[in-house]
Amino acid sequence: MESVFQCFQRGYGNGDGYALSDTLSPIPPESQPDRLNNFFRSTNFANVKRDFKQALLRNSEVGMSEEEYNGWVEVYVAYWKAVGELLAADAAPKSNSKAAWTKTYDAWKELTSVLHRGYSNHGFPSWTLPCLYVAGKFLRIFAIKADEATPTSMSAVTSFGDDLNPDAEKNEKLEDAARQLNRIFNLCLSDREPNLALSRKWGIYYTTNLLLKTYFKLNQIGLSKNILNAIRAYKGDMPLLDKFPASQQVTYKYYIGVICFLEENYVEAENNLTEAWNKCHKDAIRNKELILTYLIPCHLLTTHTLPTLALLSPYPRLQKLFLPLSRCIKKGDLSGFDTALVAGEDEFVKRRIYLTLERGRDIALRNLLRKVFIAGGFEEPKEPGAASVRKTRIPVAEFGAAISIGSKETMDNDEVECLLANMIYKNLMKGYIARDRATVVLSKGGAFPGTGV
Amino acid sequence: MNQWAPVSVVPPPPGTQDMYRYQPVSAEPAYHPVQARQTFNQTPAYTMVPQQPPPSLQLQPVQEPQKKKIDWPHSVRMYVQRSFDPANVLDDIPRSEMEAKLKETISRATDSQSLDSTDWDNLPLPQHMIRQERAHKAWQEESLKMQMASNGYINPAREQFITQKKRKSTEMGGGNAKENSPPWQRATNNRNGFEDRVTFPEKRQHLPDDSLKGTSKFQKNLEKRQRRFDGGYKSTYQAPNYASEPSSGPVVGTSQTLEKQYFRLTAPPIPSQVRPEAILRQTLDLLKKKWKKEGNYSYICDQFKSMRQDLTVQRIKNEFTVTVYEIHARIALEKGDLGEYNQCQTQLKALYAQNLGGKPFEFKAYRILYFIHTSNRTALNDVLADLTTAEKKEKAIKHALDVRSALALGNYHRFFRLYLDTPNMGAYLMDMFVVRERLAALANMCKAFKPDVPLRYVTEELGFESDGDAAQFIYDYQGQALLEEKEDGLRFLTGKAGQLFEAARAQAFRKVDIKGQI
Repeated sequence: MESVFQCFQRGYGNGDGYALSDTLSPIPPESQPDRLNNFFRSTNFANVKRDFKQALLRNSEVGMSEEEYNGWVEVYVAYWKAVGELLAADAAPKSNSKAAWTKTYDAWKELTSVLHRGYSNHGFPSWTLPCLYVAGKFLRIFAIKADEATPTSMSAVTSFGDDLNPDAEKNEKLEDAARQLNRIFNLCLSDREPNLALSRKWGIYYTTNLLLKTYFKLNQIGLSKNILNAIRAYKGDMPLLDKFPASQQVTYKYYIGVICFLEENYVEAENNLTEAWNKCHKDAIRNKELILTYLIPCHLLTTHTLPTLALLSPYPRLQKLFLPLSRCIKKGDLSGFDTALVAGEDEFVKRRIYLTLERGRDIALRNLLRKVFIAGGFEEPKEPGAASVRKTRIPVAEFGAAISIGSKETMDNDEVECLLANMIYKNLMKGYIARDRATVVLSKGGAFPGTGV
Repeated sequence: MNQWAPVSVVPPPPGTQDMYRYQPVSAEPAYHPVQARQTFNQTPAYTMVPQQPPPSLQLQPVQEPQKKKIDWPHSVRMYVQRSFDPANVLDDIPRSEMEAKLKETISRATDSQSLDSTDWDNLPLPQHMIRQERAHKAWQEESLKMQMASNGYINPAREQFITQKKRKSTEMGGGNAKENSPPWQRATNNRNGFEDRVTFPEKRQHLPDDSLKGTSKFQKNLEKRQRRFDGGYKSTYQAPNYASEPSSGPVVGTSQTLEKQYFRLTAPPIPSQVRPEAILRQTLDLLKKKWKKEGNYSYICDQFKSMRQDLTVQRIKNEFTVTVYEIHARIALEKGDLGEYNQCQTQLKALYAQNLGGKPFEFKAYRILYFIHTSNRTALNDVLADLTTAEKKEKAIKHALDVRSALALGNYHRFFRLYLDTPNMGAYLMDMFVVRERLAALANMCKAFKPDVPLRYVTEELGFESDGDAAQFIYDYQGQALLEEKEDGLRFLTGKAGQLFEAARAQAFRKVDIKGQI
């Protein structure tokens, strides 16, 4: 007990929020692997409040108000109870741990609420916000643990809906955690402290990121909209994003980028992801990999560019993911592209990039048609010495033959025309189809925009 | 209320009970004579049921068997004790009637050897059972009338039904709620003793409006809103609620009526108003016949919703559940009721995940088509993630996946080939987005083809039935000037269309919102 409160005093005395938050961590520091155990054994249910009051009094000649002092006592009592549940859950047999983890979650939720009250009623200063971060972070983790643990019995009917909601039962605690995190979010957002330096608004992005992470896990990405709208509404009234720790900026930008990506707003997605990419710590390989997972498909659609080998070299996983497709796109190998897409489908779908990558086929087709165009060669020069001009009238059948390479059946002309029409419609190819003559008339200047011919 | 002489189990003739307004002319008992429900294969609920138990046993004290056989479980004894506990006595239930019910309950349990398996601690007391049955009876009669009325079987009743309904929705401020409420509900106002000392959450709702005078305006408004929300029906449904104790597990239904109007639950369900699976199976057969014969969608939809509700509250999850949802989904599809369809589809997804049978391929294919219609990319991605390799090869699913990929790649040629060859009822779904895809294809053609194409080509590429249909479609979007008669037939002047179809396409692709239901 003493060691925890000594840490508290040190953290509080130095005004170091992160050091202070360590005292509320459910993971013991490496130097004291038994801290949780010892802490829990140092008192009991009957005396915990009195003991902590005294301990905190002994260790707090740091001049906090009576009100705040009481708040912290409450916090540590709640923490002590949560630690008790946590130790029990850790010891519970795997096959029957649902109840224990649920209790841990509930106790931790109580700790979170007490902390919340600390800020709203007991005047906890905003520099101690990292305590709230720790609470929120582990609230999410314990919720997931409780949801994942094997249940022992079927629960009773708890809602009066006409149909069952299978997802709601599966993620019961995590959904609850999302609501709690939302409360924390609002606690930070709605602080009216006029001095921004002392405002809880500095907690906004940490809690937002935590919430977004939870929504993604719950597959309820639509809910993020509310959060982002709230942030937008308070924008003028908040510290600028680039004043926050870089890690928070990167995470935030990453999530915004992915949300835009999923909404097919590739331009915005690219902007946000690029920002995240630029600010990401150079050694955070995993994070960089995540960013690239979405940034690469973005680039494919917005700028029709593919990643270089050098860019992918530190990421074997991404190489496996993107290289086969990239090769086929470059070569204009349609059937190879289809094969690669099918081969990687499970992975792509899991990362939600399948539907985007699928559109890469357009680029592959463009490259193939471009080859046909180049293979067509040049017109007979009308007069010697004139600049050579490519043949711009190409029979549909020639394109059709190229498209059919590698696949076992020949595509009928109507379908070839349809694909060509698409290329023209999407501005990947310039020209028009003269259907009666079964010919494509391509533009003399830049038949394939952006590719040099 | 104690107009009944508690001398016999045979109920007094209906004439003695002024409260039975809905009483048919036939001499029916005022409540369900307590017949043993050991089989579900019983006579229709509205016919007379034989009386029991035999008179010789009638007036013997119920504790009697306890003395004869010493092996009554403790829980049963407690149950009997609770039944006679003065605190539990209900004034409008004569003691003799209660005793008979108690006796019947216990002997039924003994006969069916379920003495030990019955949860005596949570079983409603006999007096409560009786009360529920009375309520149930009234409910049945009313619902029968409503059914007949809504089916148009009897016109006068229908009119009555409609006016009644209308009155319900307009009477909110009026003081005649008492008049219109069903008889057994009015009885609740006369409750005394025990009832008055306990606050029941629903009780307030049964009070006529003038009793609210003491409450705040806010409270009154709240009440009013609540009632409005209930749509006038719910009070009928909910009233007997006070008698049922909220149980901790799924409900086991005891209702024997086939048809039941749908009400949205706002309180725990009452077993006597929930139909067990065997009855629901009969209901389904009935509904199938009715749907074929009458095709009254609003009636069918309502009935299916109440079936789904009964299945849900009883947590019945088996092949039958799947069938109910599947049939409802198909009917909703046919009628274009996407809201209802989507609810069924969501449930089906969960049910298929448990391998309960049914037609998962058919419905997974619909699901894909549905998400194409709603342009829900996130959901589409999830669907793809859920499909196994084997499923992707199934005809219907493969078709739906091909539709998806054809659209993703803008391959309208392939899309309309697939459209003309849709398995099962997928065409109902595809019809919903075929127009916008036609516009997209036309926008595409108008940019790519110059100077023109034969109208025949449009007809064939965009899956129209005839040139006439294709021309009509172009007309509908103000493209009449683009059609020109030439020596070899009608031509579609793609080169002159400009942005005409592009604009229409953009309009058609605006976010599809289908929260609204029919």
